[in-house]
Formats: sequence, C-alpha cells, structure tokens
Amino acid sequence: MEAAVHTCRLRRVYAYRRRDTVVALDDLSLTVDRNEIHGLLGPNGAGKTTLIKILSTVLLPSGGTARVLGHDVVAETRDVRSLVGLVLGGDRGLYDRLTARRNLLFWGALYKLDARTTRARAGALLERVGLGERADDPVEGYSRGMRQRLHLARGLLHEPRVLFLDEPTSGLDPAAAAAFRRLVLDLRAEGRTFLLATHDMDEATALCDRVTLIDRGRMLLSGEPARAGRFLGDRECVDYTDPDPALADAAAALPGVVDVERRDGAPGAWRVHTADRDGTRRVLAWLLDRDVLTARRGEPTLEEVYLRAVGDRGMTV
Amino acid sequence: MSGPHAALRVVWRAVLLQIALSRRRPEHALILLIAPMQTTTMLALALTEDREDVVANAVLAPGLIGLWVAALDYAGRVVTEDRWAGRFSPMIATPVPLGLVVAGRVATVVLVGAAAFAESWLAAALAFGRVLTVADPVPFALAITATCLATVGTATLISAVFVMSRAHEVLQNSLGYPFYILGGILVPVAALPGWLHPFSRVVFLSWSAELLRDTVRGDASDWPRSVAAVLGLGAAAMAAGLWLTRRYVDRARREGTVGHA
Repeated sequence: MEAAVHTCRLRRVYAYRRRDTVVALDDLSLTVDRNEIHGLLGPNGAGKTTLIKILSTVLLPSGGTARVLGHDVVAETRDVRSLVGLVLGGDRGLYDRLTARRNLLFWGALYKLDARTTRARAGALLERVGLGERADDPVEGYSRGMRQRLHLARGLLHEPRVLFLDEPTSGLDPAAAAAFRRLVLDLRAEGRTFLLATHDMDEATALCDRVTLIDRGRMLLSGEPARAGRFLGDRECVDYTDPDPALADAAAALPGVVDVERRDGAPGAWRVHTADRDGTRRVLAWLLDRDVLTARRGEPTLEEVYLRAVGDRGMTV
Repeated sequence: MSGPHAALRVVWRAVLLQIALSRRRPEHALILLIAPMQTTTMLALALTEDREDVVANAVLAPGLIGLWVAALDYAGRVVTEDRWAGRFSPMIATPVPLGLVVAGRVATVVLVGAAAFAESWLAAALAFGRVLTVADPVPFALAITATCLATVGTATLISAVFVMSRAHEVLQNSLGYPFYILGGILVPVAALPGWLHPFSRVVFLSWSAELLRDTVRGDASDWPRSVAAVLGLGAAAMAAGLWLTRRYVDRARREGTVGHA
C-alpha cells in the first residue's frame, strides 16, 4: 500500500532578484504512513510551510518527487487536490464579512460538492468544531480560536484523506488548543492522516505518532516523540531537587557529566546531562551518597532534543 | 458530477458569494449614486444647447460608464483582494480553476453596474421629463445583454492584468478616461481623429455605444454585425483573462509567490 505522503530528495529553491537564492528544502526524503499523525518541527524558515505547500500543490518543487496517496503532486495535481485538505490557519484566509456557513458553502463548490451535500456537511462540521451556535454570525466577530476551527472545518469539507495543518493551534488559549487536539485525534480515528507543522513541542509529544525535525530544508531527525532521547545518541539525564547550587557545581565536575542545568518549574530542581549510561549510574550513586533521595533517571524532552539539534540561535532566522 | 455542470456550479456559487459580499459591503453601489449625477450634467448641457440629437447620448453614456467603472474599479480587484486576504493559497489548492470563480464574481459586480442604465433613464424621466423611447427594442435588449457579457469578459481580463501587475492601482486610476474616449461613450467615435479609429474598433464599448444609440433612434439596420463584434471582443477578452489567470497561478506556484500579498 502506498504511503500517505512520500517525498524523495524534494528540493525547493526560491530566487530573489534573479541572483539571490534561498534553499527552502534540500533533498528532503520523508514518508508519512496512512492514518498517522506526523509532526513537522523546525525553527522559523526551516521549510515546514514550503513542504506543506508543495504537498498541497500550492507550490511546485524545484527538484525531487512528492507523492500523496500514490499521486504525484506535479503530474497529478487535480487528483491530489481532491484527496488533501489544507489548513493554513491564522486570522486570514476567510471571507470575514460573511458567516461561517456562507464561507463553507462557497468553499464546498470549489471542491465540486453540490449545494445539498455542502449544506449538510457544513452544518455537521460547524457543530463538530463547536461553531454550531455561531454558524450564522459574520466571521469578523470571531476570536482567533474560532477562526482556526473554521479553517479546520473548511479543510474537512470535502472529506480529504490527508490533512496538512500549518501551526493550527498557534495563538490559541490552552483550553481551545486542547479541544483542537482532541478533534484531530477523533479525526485520525476515522482513518485520516495528518501532517502537522508546529512549534509547540508539548503538542507534538501529545499528538504525533512520529515527528520529523527539519532545519534549513534538511531533515535532522525523525522518529517517535516519546523516544526523543534516542535522537541524542547515548545521552541521558538525571533529575534531582536540592536547594544548594554548590551541589550542582560539584555534579558538573563529575566524570561523564556533560552539563547541569536548572529546571523551570520547581525551585531547586536540577537536570544533570550525562554522556552515557555509566555516567548516569555514577551521578545517581553520587547523589544518593549525599542523601539526595529525589534523584531519578530522566528522559530528555522533545524540546531539549529540538534545542540541541537546532542549536540556540535566539531570534536569528 | 463534473465537466460543464460542475463549472457552472462554481460560477453560480461565485455569483452568490459576490452577492453576499456586496450586501455586506455595498461599495459598488457608489456607481448607482454617481450615475444620476452624470445623467443630470450631460442632459443639462445637451438641453441648454438645444441639442435634441444628443439626448440619447446623454442618457446612455452614464450606463456605459457605470459598466466600465464596475469592471475597472470593483471587478478588477477581485483576485487582488483575495490575495491580500490570504485566501489565494487555499483557493488554488482546490480542484477548480480560479478563472471560474473570478468570472462568477465579476459577473455579479457588472450586473450592479448595468443598473446604471435604468437609473440614468429614470433620472432623465423624473428630473427632466425626458422619457427616452427605444425605436428598436429587440436589438436594444440584445445590445445591452451583449454589452454586459462583454464587460464580464473584459473585467476578467482586467482582473488578471491587475493581479499580475505591481502597479495595479496606477492602472486602475488611469484606465478610465481613455476608454470613455476610445469607447465613444462621451463623444461618438466618428467625431474622434481618424488615427484613433482603429484603436477604437478593438474596444467593445465603441461598438456598444454606437449600437445602443442607433437602436434608440431606429437606425440600427446593421445591428447583428455590431452585436457579433461586441460578443466577439468580449469573448476574446474572457479567453485572454482566463488564460492569463491560469498563467499567473502557474507562475505563482513556480516562483513561490502564492502567499505574497
């Protein structure tokens, strides 16, 4: 069976003023299985949106191939368009002066749905995304979360089998984001495949079966988010709580310790990064010898993996 | 369902979309505000000079101007506005050609512009007591219909040109008056310098203006040729508009400028 998404050495180069070029995707090969929620991570300008736009036929690749459910995005554009849903999200992209229902009625025609089918699906989808009571209000009065939900409803209108979501929960409050994620999980249970570009590591961990981290158009790593620590090779870590910073300094000097950092959240919480399992054993034993009974082996989070892989480049793009 | 049926459905949905948008932001209604003023000015000039022979011109011209303003100022911005509002990317990710959406929306705006004809007639009747009678009503109705269709075709072309141009506002502001002249709206083409005539003949408005005036006067013996010319020029503009729109979409996909506003 063909994968939901398969790219092979996909390349996209943007040319500016004829001479300057930017490589947005650099020989990217990626496979997303059917019925998978696949997270696409990476800093701004990494190439996430470019990849989503190529897969949804909005952009043409400069090289390589991309197939969606077995259809080539360049040669079989129309087939691909009927099979995929694109949810770019954000405040824009809708007819603000029209109601949510009218927006969907129009977009239904663009997917060749007849009026009766569109009306039925629009009503059901608006209920499903929680906009049923506001379906006949102009979109200009919608909050960002409501707009995001309407974007999703629009993306689902033609019942696509693969959905591309570009930062769908960006700017949503935690409750709205959680509701959005539940909806995505429900839709996956119906057999849909998701490729989800996000900056939210918690979202990727909670939602995705696999994640792919890209930077400057190249894949850095790909795998299950729960086992993100493996991306860092043999690196492990030990978490402990102790109010004395001198203890952390002493731990940093132990053999096999890479570094020690203060953890956000609890006061006096520290994380000791070790080079390998021996280093972890040594640190645990050393801490127990000093009566630090809170010490335990920790797993690097996806965010830590991300920061290590991408590097701390601050506001630089 | 596919083929022409699906295409017509898209056009019809685009018409309904534009009606809904126009109801919420009736800026095209400005055309209807201006048309009676133009009728008043032109008719007053004609009557002051005792020029009964140009009364028909004075009543018909605001209608043609209304159509052109609808095409140029409102219909021409359809794609540009979608692009600014971030609707362009999701729109071209759908399986239907963008040109169909443009044509449907443009047709609605042009229809609003066409109401200027009726308004101008009413203004002449109510304000000046001049009821313009049409000597050849069937050719007149055909002429109006052909003119509206040609305006839809031309507006589709204008819309494509605007979205491809980096200076669409300059074009928008400068394409009004030259077409009033070349289209023989303000002054009959015959009164223009001879070297302008060939240019004038490729502007559908020149055929429309002449035909409308002739049908009012009962002097439209050659009306089928004129209607064919209006429809032919309109169809050519529509074909060019749809081709350019497709070409623009292809270019945007290739150059990666789809999301640019």
